[in-house]
Amino acid sequence: MSNQVFLLMSCGLLVLMLGVYMLILYRNLLRLIIAVEVVAKGMTLIFLAAGIHRQEIGLIQSLLVTFIIVETVLAAIMLALAVRAHKIYGSLDIRNLSKLRG
Amino acid sequence: MLLWVFLGLIVLLSIGCCVFKDLLYVAVALAASSAILAIVLFHFGANIAGVFELSVCAGLITVLFIATVSLTKDSDMKTETRLPMYFIPLFVLIFIGIDVFVMQWLARSILTVSIPTQTGSFQKVFWELRGADMLGQIALILAGVFGILSLFRVLGKDHEAIHKSVAMMAQSRITEKEKQHE
Repeated sequence: MSNQVFLLMSCGLLVLMLGVYMLILYRNLLRLIIAVEVVAKGMTLIFLAAGIHRQEIGLIQSLLVTFIIVETVLAAIMLALAVRAHKIYGSLDIRNLSKLRG
Repeated sequence: MLLWVFLGLIVLLSIGCCVFKDLLYVAVALAASSAILAIVLFHFGANIAGVFELSVCAGLITVLFIATVSLTKDSDMKTETRLPMYFIPLFVLIFIGIDVFVMQWLARSILTVSIPTQTGSFQKVFWELRGADMLGQIALILAGVFGILSLFRVLGKDHEAIHKSVAMMAQSRITEKEKQHE
């Protein structure tokens, strides 16, 4: 494994763990969405490292484009849900979402 | 050397996302980390993925996020626990330890994986080999659009409530102005 692949993969893993740390410890919905985005950044770095290691930049680019679209749709829906939850409960605490009905 | 700087900045900005109290600063840190990630993608020749990362993640998501922060201003800022921010140096050290352990294991195991023949350029892979992904992406975008529409849909009762609240706000403004004139 080359140095660049090693570096990319270790940084990706570190960023991914930081995102998981945020996901576990925060309760604000907006911070959780940010945490998901941070995890996605880490995954992008790991994907890139895998593509460089296997010398398949074309394949990894097509996977990354799909991944970015998934990430964006997820963020948009979660942000819409956050606005809706704030309108109903006046709060962005994730524990309030268990009360949502219909 | 430049790669070290860029990757270090991505890690620092991700830590900033954990540490900053103001959500606007968090959004800006996330946008900056996306922009630097796009530079890293360009550096390795993944130009199209870099353009997507820069325009969609650093642009669109940041705009959506800042709009949401302004719509839900000052909601839970005071009740948010500060504990994750105080423990972050300790956990970063633990994460680096885990990282080193995993990388050592990967360095031993990945060397045994054989590298197959190349599948070709992005255009060939995207349009020929992974053409079915396009259907999935179109379905995803439509799912996102319909999901947001259903979340912001205003029902009959909601319409009445909105009209009543708008009328009440207008009435209160008129009475305030009348008081000021008096």
